Amino acid sequence: MSLSRRGQAGLAAGAVALALLPLLGDRFWLQFAGKAMITCIFAMSLDLLVGYAGLVSLGHAAFFGLAAFLLAGLTNQFGLLNPAATLPLCLGGAALAALLIGWLSLRATGVYFVMVTLAFTQMLFYLFSEAPGLGGSDGIYVAERPRLVVFGRTLLDLGDRIPAYLAIWTALALVFFFLYRVVRAPFGRVLVGIRVNEPRMRTLGYPTRRYKLAAFIIGGTLAGLAGYLDATLYGFVNPALFGWRQSGLVLVTVLLGGKGTLYGPMLGAFLLSLLEHFGERVTPHWNALIGAVVMAVVLFLPGGLAGLLREKHG
Amino acid sequence: MADAGALLETEALTRRFGGLTAVDGVSLRFERGRVHAIIGPNGAGKSTLLNLLSGELRATSGRVRFRGADVTRAPPDRLSQMGIGRSYQTANIFPELTCAECLWLAAQSRPRASGIFFRAPRVEAQVVDSAEQALRACGLAERRLSLAGELSYGEQRQLEIAMMLATDPELLLVDEPLAGLGHREAETVLALLRDVARERTLVLIEHDMDAVFSIAGTVTVMVNGRVLETGAPQSIRQSARVREAYLGEEET
Repeated sequence: MSLSRRGQAGLAAGAVALALLPLLGDRFWLQFAGKAMITCIFAMSLDLLVGYAGLVSLGHAAFFGLAAFLLAGLTNQFGLLNPAATLPLCLGGAALAALLIGWLSLRATGVYFVMVTLAFTQMLFYLFSEAPGLGGSDGIYVAERPRLVVFGRTLLDLGDRIPAYLAIWTALALVFFFLYRVVRAPFGRVLVGIRVNEPRMRTLGYPTRRYKLAAFIIGGTLAGLAGYLDATLYGFVNPALFGWRQSGLVLVTVLLGGKGTLYGPMLGAFLLSLLEHFGERVTPHWNALIGAVVMAVVLFLPGGLAGLLREKHG
Repeated sequence: MADAGALLETEALTRRFGGLTAVDGVSLRFERGRVHAIIGPNGAGKSTLLNLLSGELRATSGRVRFRGADVTRAPPDRLSQMGIGRSYQTANIFPELTCAECLWLAAQSRPRASGIFFRAPRVEAQVVDSAEQALRACGLAERRLSLAGELSYGEQRQLEIAMMLATDPELLLVDEPLAGLGHREAETVLALLRDVARERTLVLIEHDMDAVFSIAGTVTVMVNGRVLETGAPQSIRQSARVREAYLGEEET
């Protein structure tokens, strides 16, 4: 659970390096790191469910995709550009969807829960693929990126590469510290109790479904933040954001990095992004390469990459 | 209506599993401040009855009243909050957590433990304190940081009871607390239960007859899901029907 000193230093060094990356001036790596950090947020939001509450969701992409599409809709249909308006609306939408989907899917447990979450995200996938008003299977562009204008002065334009990148970095830092607090608070410890022995938690007096729903909403909202940033970074959304490939990939990211650690999924996100990038150059069958790495980690490092950084006695 | 004496009362409580009637029209009164033991051969429906009382199973028909309120359909977490504690025949603990963490979870379930996201240190100290008390009461103070799954069988049973106590229940449903314990461990647990029983009401399932007759104020004998007889330990011991149905078996 707790990081070794060296691990902490490594995380801090990584954060500083990422903050300084814009000085390099390289377009590609800036976009690459931005995307990887978005995946970090997405994966950590799922880690709260999988690693702490023990809720294996295969529908986590639903909230990512919904927030991304909401941003496109708000921008294109209503000309809303101010992030102070679009961000709360998109996150609110994701939270509301998580409340509804969570409320329904948490009536099932175990593998049935997995199936219900999967069904929901597939439903959204087909809805957005087949409704021309929502862009259809080709997706839609976000006409203009969010920008904060106060009294005629542009304070923040997320259409610019560097401010957009720094906004992602800031969001990642805030999400990490927020979740770090949440999992160490009584709430997070109750979630762990539910994961380990839910029936016992009920006879100890915990309305466990309510706790799981709260975790589901927090996780869904933060996945929505990742989707919002993704739509901002690329300026384009398509129904593949909802697909079960996306949901599965983020689950693999969490397991590869080490569930129940928060920092593990971040390592997983960067490793997978690098594998994808370099694997593509080496072989057209790079997906198989990723598969092999995932298998190797699951078999030989049951704690994921995070297991390497953990304190030996912990 | 429940009068002042009955803390918990069942009325024709019945539970069927398919064609099997595990608990069949059980009407019992559990008096406040008493130890009420339920004995009977295996398969008599004792554990099923306890699961009905703790809300883990739904009754097919009949009623349960706690402090006069109908709680037949109440879920286990609500019953726990109302003051019904439960411990299990096979230790039902959190194997991956330490003893201190298990008891912290139990203690912090109480409503006074407010602030689930951000908690004042003073409130947290109270929770830690009541967890610590339960830890000591059950003789596990030295095993504080051991993983619950790595405790000995007897220690796991002690932890099991400690978790129930940490929720500060008024009524305790205790399922075979002495099963599988060595003589000395059984003595420890029995002494603990006796101590607990001074201020609280106990419903106890136990096979150890010496223990039952030494601690219980009332004994109910169940056979085939039905109540055969209820009474003071002495009258149960002397009942011919009970001897025939149950105690006699033990002696042969």
